[in-house]
Amino acid sequence: MTPHRIALLFNANKVYDRQVIAGIGHYLNSTRVEWDLFMEEDFRSRMRDIQQFRGDGVIADFDDPEAPDALRDLHIPVVAVGGSYHDPASYPIGIPYIATDNARLVRLAYDHLIEQGLARFAFYGIPPHPGSRWAQEREHAFRAIVDDEAVEAVVYDGASTSAGGWGEAVEELVAWLAALPKPIGIIAVTDARARQLLQACVIGEFAVPEQIAIVGIDNDPMAQLLTRIPLTSVIQGAEEMGRTAAHLLHQMLRGVDCSGTRVLVPPVGINVQVSSRYQPVRSPHVMRASHYIRQYGCLGIKTEQVADYVGVSRTVLEEHFKRELKQTVHQVILKHKLDTACDLIANSDTPLADIALRCGFTSLQYMYTVFRREYDCTPRQYLDLHRKPMAT
Amino acid sequence: MPVSNATAWGQLPDGRPLHRWTLRNARGEQVDISDLGATLLSWQTPDRFGRLGDVVLGHADAQQYIASNAYMGAVVGRWANRIRGGRFRLDGIDYKVDRNDGGNHLHGGHDGFHLQRWEVEPEADGLVLRLVSPEGDGGFPGEVHVQLRVRLEDDGTLDLRYEATSDAPTPLSLTAHPYFNLNDRRPDIRDHVIRIDADEFLAIDAGAIPVGRQHVSGTAFDFREPAPIGSRLHWPDPQLRLVGGFDHCYLPRGPAGGVVRTVAVVTEPSSGRRLTIDTDRPGLQFYSGQKLTGQAGRQGDTYGPFAGFALEAQAFPDQVNGPEADGAILRPGNVWRQHTRYRVDTP
Repeated sequence: MTPHRIALLFNANKVYDRQVIAGIGHYLNSTRVEWDLFMEEDFRSRMRDIQQFRGDGVIADFDDPEAPDALRDLHIPVVAVGGSYHDPASYPIGIPYIATDNARLVRLAYDHLIEQGLARFAFYGIPPHPGSRWAQEREHAFRAIVDDEAVEAVVYDGASTSAGGWGEAVEELVAWLAALPKPIGIIAVTDARARQLLQACVIGEFAVPEQIAIVGIDNDPMAQLLTRIPLTSVIQGAEEMGRTAAHLLHQMLRGVDCSGTRVLVPPVGINVQVSSRYQPVRSPHVMRASHYIRQYGCLGIKTEQVADYVGVSRTVLEEHFKRELKQTVHQVILKHKLDTACDLIANSDTPLADIALRCGFTSLQYMYTVFRREYDCTPRQYLDLHRKPMAT
Repeated sequence: MPVSNATAWGQLPDGRPLHRWTLRNARGEQVDISDLGATLLSWQTPDRFGRLGDVVLGHADAQQYIASNAYMGAVVGRWANRIRGGRFRLDGIDYKVDRNDGGNHLHGGHDGFHLQRWEVEPEADGLVLRLVSPEGDGGFPGEVHVQLRVRLEDDGTLDLRYEATSDAPTPLSLTAHPYFNLNDRRPDIRDHVIRIDADEFLAIDAGAIPVGRQHVSGTAFDFREPAPIGSRLHWPDPQLRLVGGFDHCYLPRGPAGGVVRTVAVVTEPSSGRRLTIDTDRPGLQFYSGQKLTGQAGRQGDTYGPFAGFALEAQAFPDQVNGPEADGAILRPGNVWRQHTRYRVDTP
């Protein structure tokens, strides 16, 4: 039997699309279904060319506003993948639709901030655009939750990101953050937007998470890489969406009618990092110092530099630390270095010598000494216990 | 003391008093167990923020447990799951057992182990629960002596070791029947993400009796990679439509009988809790809780569909009428053993 020719129409430049495609791949591997997959060599879809496609089925990204029209007259099975809508009339008619459940994504982020003890919330979205209706759906979900629970909340869409207007956009974002009551928890519509928030917090000198706690959506490793403060992020069920889409197309190719099927996939997790670990701290000195340590703690800083940054004497700062955290400034810096080292040991494949350097230990030997003293084990033993096998 | 003394907890219809015991571990987790049906009444574990919450469903009082048909938290026997037509043949003799589920036998019949008062003996680090099931109980042959040792370990493991003997050959399959919901703030388990380490499950007929093994590949039943329960319920699969969700027995990988292996892992994104199930049983029934509608909750509330899910380590449903019937029979002189571990933690 000749394998079916299937077109995958995605713009696989984002982690989400790649995970959807990975899910399709998993399904094919697990079932030994042979599909001859058609994708553009740069993994970007070109909707207008699809009319020429002589194949058996299509799985397409329906967040692309051109998709419904481009695929309308194609008389082969089509499975749509996209964002969920609060209004059922927004879904395409007669096509099975696999959605990331936008309302559940926002709900998970919101519940997380509530659990952290926050009482004020904001949403940082993007300006409305036909290609990102999912962002408006997330914003709508946020408004629905805060209306329903009658809590204090604001929404800000900011400006579209463009190189030219970037300076101004950042200024406006910093001004928006400055005007917000604090402490506050902000849900960013994507990790890319969350990264901009973190950047603005650094510029505006707002302590994250003490003054502003941030949750993104996507769990994008790129955003993690580009932020100094590790970002909490909601993980979409994108692989499961891919598996589901492949299953439905598989059924349709066997003649099963799936035209009315709509599957909403909830988030599969939340990666909790520092950006949302809100703990009420009363002393503004401690808050400012913690913020500084989180940014520069791995660059070999000493108590003196922290005190300089805060603008008080070492003695005063030590007193505040003792009262609030029951620790010295040095201990907090060391803990930050150790936490960062442990995280790198467990979650990356970085060699120990590099980790020692990156975390501000003067030598690998010194990191060994500190590990033995604090954890009663060597970094090597810690690695053997905790390092996760890398995804392939 | 990890085990508290017995607390009075209602009574049986015949007036015999019932009790509950509390187990605690070093992390402050707490498990409540009753002598009625060896029932797991409550299991308090911390979420990712360290706040304790109940991870199992429960009724408000003993009367509700007796009146309910949900087997909530109980140990079920003599035969966990179904027997077709309530009939089987053993050593040339035909037996008829209670038919309490649309013409089939289910979970020990009208007065199964879940409604019996077990004898409870506290130990240093747990409880030992004992039950004698008389000859003819539910229609089954032989007098069966059952012992269940329950421990709550410091890593959040609830360790269950069963032993049973009989003075005549009898089918035997026991299982714990807790309904889990790892998010105590949301009475709906459809956002839970489940992994089941099984390549095959037993396809069923309309009466939920197995009709044959089926590979999970390409079906809604493939949880070898973790997936949310709720979205799978919308896959077009006739096996799901038969019973309105999942109520199927999986055949976990690995050697069954004597070897304990991990068979399923469930995570809940909001609370951060994770449930891991290890067992030496050949079968794992996954029930998504679609028929929990109307069951009384702990606080005067009422559960809806999908309020909890059950993962029951056991023999295969109707195994006594299949090619592997011998494996489900306990004979005099032998000791039947089962070891199952539920662990709840926050990775």
